[in-house]
Amino acid sequence: MSQKVTVGMSGGVDSSVTAALLIEQGYDVTGVYMKNWTQDLPGMKCPWADDMADAKRVAVQLGIPFKVYDFQTEYRRLVVEYMIDEYSSGRTPNPDIMCNQEVKFKLFLQAALQDGADMIATGHYARIADRSQPAEASSAARLYIPEDKVKDQTYFLYRVTAEALTKTLFPLGIYKKEQVRKIAEKFGLATAHKKDSQGICFVGSVGIRDFLNEFVETTPGNIVDTETNAVVGRHDGAIFYTLGQRHGLEVGGGLPYYVVGKDMEKNEVYVSRNLNNDAMWRDFVELTNIHWIHEAPKDGESVAVRMRHRGKLLPAELRGTTLVMHEAERATTAGQSAVVYRGDEVLGGGIVV
Amino acid sequence: MGERVYYLDHAAATPCDPRVIEAMRPYFSDVFYNPSASYAGGRAAREALESARSIVAGIIGAKPYDIVFTAGATESINLAFRGVLSGGGKAVISAVEHVAVRRVVENYPHSVAKVDTRGLIDQDDLREQIDDETVLVSVVLADNEFGTVQPLSAVARLLKDIREDRRTRGVVTPLYFYTDASQGQSLLDLGVSRLGVDMMTLNSGKCYGPKQVGALWLKPSVRVQPLVEGGGQERGLRGGTENVAGAVGFAEALRLVQAERHDEAKRLGAIKKQLVDTLSALVPDIVFDGHPKRSLPGHIHMHVDGLDAERVVFHLDTEGVYIATGAACSANKATRLPSLEAVGLTESQADGSLRITLGHLNAAEDVPYTAERIAHAIQTERAL
Repeated sequence: MSQKVTVGMSGGVDSSVTAALLIEQGYDVTGVYMKNWTQDLPGMKCPWADDMADAKRVAVQLGIPFKVYDFQTEYRRLVVEYMIDEYSSGRTPNPDIMCNQEVKFKLFLQAALQDGADMIATGHYARIADRSQPAEASSAARLYIPEDKVKDQTYFLYRVTAEALTKTLFPLGIYKKEQVRKIAEKFGLATAHKKDSQGICFVGSVGIRDFLNEFVETTPGNIVDTETNAVVGRHDGAIFYTLGQRHGLEVGGGLPYYVVGKDMEKNEVYVSRNLNNDAMWRDFVELTNIHWIHEAPKDGESVAVRMRHRGKLLPAELRGTTLVMHEAERATTAGQSAVVYRGDEVLGGGIVV
Repeated sequence: MGERVYYLDHAAATPCDPRVIEAMRPYFSDVFYNPSASYAGGRAAREALESARSIVAGIIGAKPYDIVFTAGATESINLAFRGVLSGGGKAVISAVEHVAVRRVVENYPHSVAKVDTRGLIDQDDLREQIDDETVLVSVVLADNEFGTVQPLSAVARLLKDIREDRRTRGVVTPLYFYTDASQGQSLLDLGVSRLGVDMMTLNSGKCYGPKQVGALWLKPSVRVQPLVEGGGQERGLRGGTENVAGAVGFAEALRLVQAERHDEAKRLGAIKKQLVDTLSALVPDIVFDGHPKRSLPGHIHMHVDGLDAERVVFHLDTEGVYIATGAACSANKATRLPSLEAVGLTESQADGSLRITLGHLNAAEDVPYTAERIAHAIQTERAL
């Protein structure tokens, strides 16, 4: 009996190829579309029905069963409401990380196992185990940076548990995106030329600002220059501003302003024209909600840290819950994740306080 | 694409007849003028437009003045419903109306009259739904799911009785009878007095004419509000420079299908019988829906309980065989069709429903191959 794998199929080219590769490798594959979010936003139609149809079309092409798992209630609570709450508290969260932790590698995994699967697979660009054993899960499944360094999605995966990884396959980890497109063409998959989705899936093309506008009451307030203490403009809601941000400040003339802080209570956003402003540069960050896939790095061990998706790997070391960087870096907003790497391996990370 | 395509979805769209394209050609370039312009070129364009109107009017037995050209059937439906109902009153629609009718009527007080298991209007229920505030009754000429041809003249007699009763009681509310003829227009008689209707929607894109062209015929007594305001074109009901090429193409398309309808009905009826017989033999538990006698000659609706019909459509797509689940408008909305529920199909029967609609692109010699592919797709997909 071949192993049963349930592939999360989003209707995109990556998960389509994931399913095709696993069938080729001899797995008994079932495709599942996770119905997480279906709400239209002003000016944007949520493409879920088309995406689901694309996923199903590929499943039919590949001759595999196809199911829909409806996680809308859980997704709204665990991902969307989490995101809104975080923004409302003045932080800038990363919903994709939460989606992986709570939905894809928890609820989806559980549902697939319950339906008789031995493993799950997704179209993430990441590797499990090491280079000598590509896409092969083992009892000590470790998470690694994939072959395609540009598509690398490990930043979003650092909160996945070791237990989940032992039951997960990432077949795309050994490929580059161009190769994946070629494989899709080779199989003649309906999604071979489909455009990649951009940004947070449920926010889509409208942007986070318009999304939050739909769900959160915001009140206008002052924008204050911290160098002069002068009110230099008005904002339409402090939640829309994030540390280091330059764009979106409707403050005219002269050098650009950068956000250096905000006070949610006072509903004020603080800005500076001084790029050397202390608030913008830090050589340490305090972490909370720390998660290690296996063991924590040793105190003072030389590791690397990534502060955003596809961000540079910065030399750093961990001292307790403080991440000390070897050089001062542009400050990271509270709520974002710091992901810790040892060489190619993702050790885990935490959320910036 | 590239391989040969077997198109069995004529209820969704029809290819433009080459004769129609020829008829339209001069009006894109040589006679491009604005029909409202007073020089010779404009007058020539006006003449072509009015001649198209006369052709359409002649086919349905109406006066040219009462034909309003629209950008497709959906706009025609909107003009009819908004035009009448914005003046107040209620509507009663049949349970197998097109989604455009169901959507626009939601803006107004309305109720839905039942159909039987074959998709035929329940006239007793219809009568019960009509009260003194009802101003509009809508029964489709033939529905797009089952292709069941409705007894419009019988409904017209029923409405006549109600009007007379209103008169004797001194009730002055008008009662208009509307029909959407989009699906039946290629193969059925369109004489409006024989059908007994007051308003009729026609659809060029479903009778081998250009898309986004259609018409609304209104009996002179019907009072409607304009839908698109502009330069006063189309009696002021639908402003905007007239689509002369479109109207010419539509008139020619309608003229051709109506001239050829008896032969075409016979031809399609024979192909349909052959398809139904072959499919029944290959898939013993297939069930054919709709009315055994009163159905469009090229229309087949069938279901296999428990089948995922969408898989079958996707499967056949890869082999160049184009058929439909439910109506094309609803196929990608991930919702079930109310008309399937209306004839009493269960959820698993509705999900297992397929529609084949025949037309110009189908030939008898293709039946063995297409039937075999469809049966094979059903058997393959039901096993997964």
